[in-house]
Amino acid sequence: MRAAVDHSRPGLLDWLSSKRVAPYLFVAPVLIFALSLFLGPLSFAAYISFTDWDGVADPKWVGLKNYTYLIGRDRFFWTSIWNTLYFAAGSVILGVPSALIVAALIAQSRFQSFWRTVYWLPMVTNIVAVAYIWWYILNDTNGLLNRTLDLFGLPGPNWLTSTSMSMFSVILVASWMSLGQNILVFLSGLSGIDETYYEAARLDGANPWQVFRHVTIPLLRPTILFVLITSLINALSSFVLMMILTEGGPARSTTVTGLYLYDMAFTDLRLGRASAAAYILFAIIFVISLIQLRLLRRGGVEAH
Amino acid sequence: MRLTSGRRLLAALAGLMLTAAPASSQPTTTTIRVATHYNAQQIAPMLACFRQYEAEHPGTRIVHQQVSYEDFIQTILISRVGRAPVDIYNLYSIWAPQLIATRALDPPPFEIERFVRANYTPAAIGAATIAQRLWGIPNSVSVYQLVYNKKLLEAAGFSAPPRTPEERMRIAGAITKKNRQGNSVIGGYAFDLSGANVTHVFYSEMYAARVPPYTADGRHTNLRSPTALAILTKQTELFRRGITSNSVLAVDFAGGGVGMAVMANWMKDTLRSVLGSRFEETVGVAPIPTDGPGGTMIYSFFWGVDAASRAKPQSWDLLRWLNSPRGHGGLSCTGAMLAGMGDLTGNRADLSAMRGQTADPFSQAYIAALAAPGAASQPNIWHASEVDRLLKYYIQLAWAGRMTPAEALAAADGDIGAILAEQP
Repeated sequence: MRAAVDHSRPGLLDWLSSKRVAPYLFVAPVLIFALSLFLGPLSFAAYISFTDWDGVADPKWVGLKNYTYLIGRDRFFWTSIWNTLYFAAGSVILGVPSALIVAALIAQSRFQSFWRTVYWLPMVTNIVAVAYIWWYILNDTNGLLNRTLDLFGLPGPNWLTSTSMSMFSVILVASWMSLGQNILVFLSGLSGIDETYYEAARLDGANPWQVFRHVTIPLLRPTILFVLITSLINALSSFVLMMILTEGGPARSTTVTGLYLYDMAFTDLRLGRASAAAYILFAIIFVISLIQLRLLRRGGVEAH
Repeated sequence: MRLTSGRRLLAALAGLMLTAAPASSQPTTTTIRVATHYNAQQIAPMLACFRQYEAEHPGTRIVHQQVSYEDFIQTILISRVGRAPVDIYNLYSIWAPQLIATRALDPPPFEIERFVRANYTPAAIGAATIAQRLWGIPNSVSVYQLVYNKKLLEAAGFSAPPRTPEERMRIAGAITKKNRQGNSVIGGYAFDLSGANVTHVFYSEMYAARVPPYTADGRHTNLRSPTALAILTKQTELFRRGITSNSVLAVDFAGGGVGMAVMANWMKDTLRSVLGSRFEETVGVAPIPTDGPGGTMIYSFFWGVDAASRAKPQSWDLLRWLNSPRGHGGLSCTGAMLAGMGDLTGNRADLSAMRGQTADPFSQAYIAALAAPGAASQPNIWHASEVDRLLKYYIQLAWAGRMTPAEALAAADGDIGAILAEQP
């Protein structure tokens, strides 16, 4: 009788394998990872953003002072936000269409593996080396680009040393660097389009441009939107290239918010203010991502 | 004879005690960690001294830790958070106020303070002094002067360097050469855009005009003064007339691409290694061009000890030993290291012992500038690195024509004033 009662009571193993518990057990490693390495630091940064802290002495609670300073008083913070948006928009506008065009050309070429390798090389090259090579290419007087332009009697702009040209030059280099990754994603999307669509279009008399415009692009829309969203998020949070290539100059014309808050935190030791800046940047990226997701649902996935 | 298990155990314990006894009677080793921004080649004479000190002081181990200049203060503070502070630091004097505010530095003992006051120049002592208190033993001293290419000046028809900003403009304008794209092949005048050099040159020009960039209490700036405005206006004019640009850099001087630039004395080594035997016939040194009485800025490093060090007395003893004459031709270990780099010092005995190596006109001009009445130590103001970067930003905005010099200086004064108002 007693043994029968014990058998009817659910054991630990039964409880662990129940539908109520088991799913959480499976995701537990990820949850623990997220809690310790994501939510923990995130919560700490949120707390620090309301304090004045140099990393050594005890944090001093200052309420919203860091946020009000950044939003209301720090005239350079908004310039850095503008620089960030300019860089992100420029990288996407220049980088994504060029990657799509190159991918479409590679998809029709005979040596796909070779071209894939060539365009992937910048991705596996150290960013410091990339920055140095481009620094020499873009040098005003002796750079390869200006010397080449001179051969054709063209003017040689101050690519990295003029406050009006420097950000464009950084965008150029960043787009070149991310080209390989985007090309690979586009190639993967292109290989998923059924050949019969192209055959049908050609039978209807469509020329190559019409095929690309009316068949390839609509069928590739989910991939395009994926590349757009990932490129934009990457660009909004990037700062290493500017740190190495231009040190954020001249006159901070290439200082994006990421670089500005890095200096704030680790050079000026204003960790509280830097955390507040990081949260404001996070809010901006979050809103932009939400808008993109909404557009993606309407014009992308839901459309298919 | 067979041992019982109990006896075996006793024998084993006795054996263990016998082997352990010599170890416990050995003196404990004191490790002193020394952090500097010097690279392996620069620190080599000092490392030899460390080994000599270890040999003379059994039980002491000295470890050198190289930390990049840009990350130095952050590394100090982070190592302190991790409860693993370095014992001795080579500190840029402007970092000191923040370190003192966080109680990271140990004030030197009385005998060390007496040693410093007896053996160092007032300017060097001043750089290691914050709020009327000495915080370490002075190390290197750097000073700014105008360095000019004698050959380029002669080719342009000038036999003497400029004495005023107007003359600088005229001579630099005559030297400047451009290619058909309008980019400089030879820049008449160059600024060093790296680090704090833009700000340091501006400060040097202010000191040359005898108007310090900050008030004596370090709570306000003099950036709205007519002198500051005149200096920035004339610098901006060099850009506006195409005599200099952001791509004409002081580092191109050695290659013959620049006519004039304001440089610190430690550039001697670089210039000499590039120019070789042409060094003396090419490079000239002159006072900072000014409309004022003349002068320049000095900046210094000093040796400090961490307040949380477990070896504070040993660290101060080591520092005194390293900074006393040792037999390298009468130079101290620090002096030998600085002489190797072509750097200067505030240590009187070292300066005297360096006489042979500093007899050339280049070094003599810098030593004379160091001793001149207009030479002033960079003020150890609150958040100096941040202030320097902020001022550099506004100066560059004026150079680029994005702000007028008056607007740039007014904006800099406002922002820097807010930082200075934070100090306790």
